[in-house]
Amino acid sequence: MVKETYLHEQHIALGAKMVDFAGWHMPVQYTSIIEEHNTVRENVGIFDVSHMGEVFITGKDSTEFLDKIVPQNISKLKYEKAVYCQLTKEDGGLIDDLIIYKLGIESYLIICNASRVDEDINWFAKNKKGFDVNIDNQSHNYSLLAIQGPKAITLMRKMGYDITEQKSFTIKPAKIEGLKLLVARTGYTGEDGFELLVENEHVEFLWNRVLERGKEFGIKPIGLGARDTLRLEAGLHLYGNDLDETTTPVEADLIWSIPQDKECDYNGKEVIMEQISKGVERRLIGFVMEDRNIARHGYDIYYNEEKIGQVTSGCVSPTTGKNIGLGYVKNLSEICNGAIIQIMIRDKLHNAKVVKRPFILKRNRV
Amino acid sequence: MNKDDMLCSKSHEYIVKDGDKYVIGLTDYAVEQLGDIVFLELPEVGSEFSKGETFANIESVKAASEIYMPISGKIAEIHEELIDAPEKLNEDWFEGGWLVKIEANDAEADSQDLMSYNDYKVEVE
Repeated sequence: MVKETYLHEQHIALGAKMVDFAGWHMPVQYTSIIEEHNTVRENVGIFDVSHMGEVFITGKDSTEFLDKIVPQNISKLKYEKAVYCQLTKEDGGLIDDLIIYKLGIESYLIICNASRVDEDINWFAKNKKGFDVNIDNQSHNYSLLAIQGPKAITLMRKMGYDITEQKSFTIKPAKIEGLKLLVARTGYTGEDGFELLVENEHVEFLWNRVLERGKEFGIKPIGLGARDTLRLEAGLHLYGNDLDETTTPVEADLIWSIPQDKECDYNGKEVIMEQISKGVERRLIGFVMEDRNIARHGYDIYYNEEKIGQVTSGCVSPTTGKNIGLGYVKNLSEICNGAIIQIMIRDKLHNAKVVKRPFILKRNRV
Repeated sequence: MNKDDMLCSKSHEYIVKDGDKYVIGLTDYAVEQLGDIVFLELPEVGSEFSKGETFANIESVKAASEIYMPISGKIAEIHEELIDAPEKLNEDWFEGGWLVKIEANDAEADSQDLMSYNDYKVEVE
């Protein structure tokens, strides 16, 4: 059965177009994807992302356990800090990508993809042997709101939250509008912003309150459609499109997120370290179309009339006015930034230029 | 052009007679369902298509779709302005948002399965 978030009625009342996404009935757009996209780039938007999974990891060995299942250095993660991680298999393929937040000495919060919660939980169970660790899937008890955009800070202040103490990629317990929340300064849009973890029964009140307080800043509710164009402009991967069980973090151009000095062993370490030193056969690139055509997931990529890979994500980029995309290609030295590749669209090849990600400049962050 | 003379297909194209030609466009329902339209590809003038054949391609932010010929005919005119500004379709699907004008082969026979705008509205809503 398709699940509904605790804000389902609000979305319908706001006139949202609803779609099934990862087993959830979710708003894809309220008014227009482009308008919603621009709202987040220019002002501030609020997203209901309650479909995402929340898993609490506690216990004496929680740090060691997490260190075994992700390539990132969890033992070096400081209190209240967050880190972008991948859940790797022995062969380097990815079960999921997620953010791990450190809540206490032996206490962590994992926020993972809605489509992968069950796989993640199974994976944790498979890997917990020998670790004194408690895995608590709280996805059904919590709702998650994302407040994103350059005016997110002002809005949070307006709601009585002092953000001066909270830097990017951190999490803090807080009391806002009388509610006990976890406030993370993270997001999936390339903008500054916050993610508010709240118990289901309070989310309706919080949602309405944020919309009310945000009115003067031009706040709008934002659907999954704009969430996708925002994340792609920011060069962020989407699990299921750009990442899956066959892609390694090295192929996915996520080397920046992998510490090469991590001492302890973790799932897939051997493959990942070998790929870093010896190189990979295929790798993820970003590209910008040279005409108005739009590359979509699954389209073939060509170079010199040879098929060299496939598009994994593609869309119009409202911020740049160009059409952008991500795809995996054969790791040829000619395919560098500035190189011209071709995308097969409706039986015709269309030129695209290989570019560095992100597709938009990152704003200065606190 | 009058909306009362419009005939609509199940795949959301409309035709309306304009002099000796037929204007083809996309219904308001189709445009609304597509959302922000960002790309339009129209056929060449003079090309011929049978009923049901893909003659144009349209893309919204979300997805790519094909547009089918509601009746057979030869493309007499295309709405070129719309290729450069496909977003105009979101504002005006009828008079300002027509796609092509065609010389129909046998409009009467081909129109048998098309619906009046009123019947179409009932069908999609």
